[in-house]
Amino acid sequence: MNQSPQVPTSIPYGLQRPLSLFAILFLVVLTMMVVNICTGSVTVSLSQLFHLIIRPDNTTESFILWKIRLPRALAGLLCGGYLAVSGLLLQVYFRNPVVGPFILGISSGATLMVSLVMLTSLTMQLHIITPFTVTLAAMAGACIVMTIVVAIASRVKNGITLLIIGLMMGYLCHAVTSVLTALAEKEQVKGFVLWQLGSFSGFKWDEISLLLLVGGLLLMIVFLLAKPLNGFLLGEEYAKSMGINIRLFRMLILFLACSLAGMITAMAGPVAFIGLAIPHMARMIFSTSDNRILIPGAFLLGALVASGCDFIARSLLSPVELPLSAITAFFGAPVVISLLMKKRVQL
Amino acid sequence: MKDSNPNTQTAALTCHNLVVGYTDKPVISNVNISFKTGQFISLLGPNGAGKTTLLHTLSRHQAPLAGSIQLGRQSLEQLRQADLAKVMAVVLTDKITPPLFTAFQFVALGRYPHTGFLGRLTDIDKDVVQSALTAVHADDLGHRDFAELSDGERQKVLVARALAQEPKILLLDEPTAHLDLKHRLEVMAILRNLCRDKGITVIASLHDVDIAAKVSDRVALVKNGAITAWGSPEQILTSETVADLYDFRTACFSHHLGSIEIRSERYRGRAFVVAGMGKGASIYRMLAKRGYGISTGMLLSNDLDCYVAAGLGAKCVSQPPGSAFTEESRTLALREMEASDMVIEANYQTTGPYQENQDLIRRAAKMGKPVFSFRTASGRNETDGIIAVADSNKLFNAMEVHCP
Repeated sequence: MNQSPQVPTSIPYGLQRPLSLFAILFLVVLTMMVVNICTGSVTVSLSQLFHLIIRPDNTTESFILWKIRLPRALAGLLCGGYLAVSGLLLQVYFRNPVVGPFILGISSGATLMVSLVMLTSLTMQLHIITPFTVTLAAMAGACIVMTIVVAIASRVKNGITLLIIGLMMGYLCHAVTSVLTALAEKEQVKGFVLWQLGSFSGFKWDEISLLLLVGGLLLMIVFLLAKPLNGFLLGEEYAKSMGINIRLFRMLILFLACSLAGMITAMAGPVAFIGLAIPHMARMIFSTSDNRILIPGAFLLGALVASGCDFIARSLLSPVELPLSAITAFFGAPVVISLLMKKRVQL
Repeated sequence: MKDSNPNTQTAALTCHNLVVGYTDKPVISNVNISFKTGQFISLLGPNGAGKTTLLHTLSRHQAPLAGSIQLGRQSLEQLRQADLAKVMAVVLTDKITPPLFTAFQFVALGRYPHTGFLGRLTDIDKDVVQSALTAVHADDLGHRDFAELSDGERQKVLVARALAQEPKILLLDEPTAHLDLKHRLEVMAILRNLCRDKGITVIASLHDVDIAAKVSDRVALVKNGAITAWGSPEQILTSETVADLYDFRTACFSHHLGSIEIRSERYRGRAFVVAGMGKGASIYRMLAKRGYGISTGMLLSNDLDCYVAAGLGAKCVSQPPGSAFTEESRTLALREMEASDMVIEANYQTTGPYQENQDLIRRAAKMGKPVFSFRTASGRNETDGIIAVADSNKLFNAMEVHCP
């Protein structure tokens, strides 16, 4: 054996690098949020912002800030973060880099259920479609699709087969949705189409609290699952041999991913590409596959990118607001392509 | 050193009337084997015999169809998954390449059953990981990117990951498949050392009978839905059992040499080789490779040439050492020589017991048979009717010319 010089490890076993990255990311996210809150048709200065945050008053600025800008900024932040974590979970579980909530048909299922609520008279008895009806419908749609996918997953061991089944489920849901759209009345369709493009506008504080509470709880559970998630990187058989209760964690992972994605889709519509692209970016930036780092990392990055995309969507052709999904796709597709071409982040 | 007497050792894993397979298709039935602690156990058998299924059942990746498995004093079935992970580790054939892991970090995943809720590594854990890397001679791989390792390096790191679990039993599914010779031997040596130094019970499915024979304490032969033989390789691995196991027709496992000889299917004529003291072995193999039938003589039955010739299925005129060659041997050798198309003389020692073989060469030359001789230094020349050849290339060139 020749004595090779000990090359210093590029990634120290400690957390120095991730910690400073987290700090930087956090500051950038905060800055992005302030930018989102301050800019728009009415510009709010920093001192004004500070003043209004501490002591809200009856001015228009205060109203805009508290009723429109702040909920919207928070919504973008949380939705982006949760979608990224949802995508990360599924990518780890399927050990496949092109998996995201969209590709497995979760969003399509949610869309189908929302179309049932928004385009048909099934819920006429409720008179008003509250945000919670839509939310629940989307949640149910996402869960139904995911349950079917999971049920099939327990029989089909091959990941590619499962992916194709997920895609087919998506097509089926789209087919039903399009039939419903064709049969629906014009006014209803417009609302539905706008919902489908995804938007962080019009968030109520109720929804923000729901996002914070339920989403926060789910995120906590996801983080506590970081260790078995790392075990899953070796595939189910190795994971099992290391003592992971496969059935339990399979269900947990799929349930968590489904709930997060379903919740976001319900409130903000199907926001594309965040769930697919951000986990790759996180892996690249933190140069690790360790989910203990990737979960908070993907959350922060998702928050940043979603906020940024929302900022572009509403300011690029202001006052016309561009569809959010278009911006995220413009951003996400090239990122995914370039990352995969470099072969740095193949799962 | 471990006590190597199997009778005093405890059983690490015991199978009682075990049937393994899939719901409606039993693959191996009636397995009653006790794997002793600290032994190296090889599972041998053709592809599809069920070695992997048996391993998967032992590692509880697959439930037995019938029967039971005891792990020490406990029933394998009732053990908690997390507890099982502390005593048993596996190396599977799945090709896994998680991205952005250094080999050290990858091996550290093996600490899973021992670490806390978030899997934080303590200093003890890091020491275990480091010594696992040392045990597989992979200290220098620790900082390398796991996805960029070669097949051989990756296999070593996979074994290290399993070792990081600090198992008492290590199950490996074809640990040497796809490896080059160096890594094949290195991995086997590493596994052998694990048994010897750490008292780990190693159960591995293997394809190389010759290597298995040399490293295993016990071998199990798996064929046609049953364990056809179980015991020490010295007892079990005879040329008959191995030929039967793999349905060899043109190859032969030589019990004495511990290796596989590949026989010729004889279509290019028959060569009579005069050899002795191991000088003939490589000539026999060369001839077999080129498709010649072989006969040889006269040899003493303890000569290496005798074993190689037997492995290659050659006709070998031999007799036990201790006395001069008998009249019977001479007659037999002469008959074999006369029946051959050519005679090859190896560069053997002409003084001593094989002196008499010179007579065979002279007779062959007199009979007009092509005689090729490697004994160039002996002062022979072509006028004797003997063609001197310096090496095997020259031999085969000469054979092309003289025996078309």
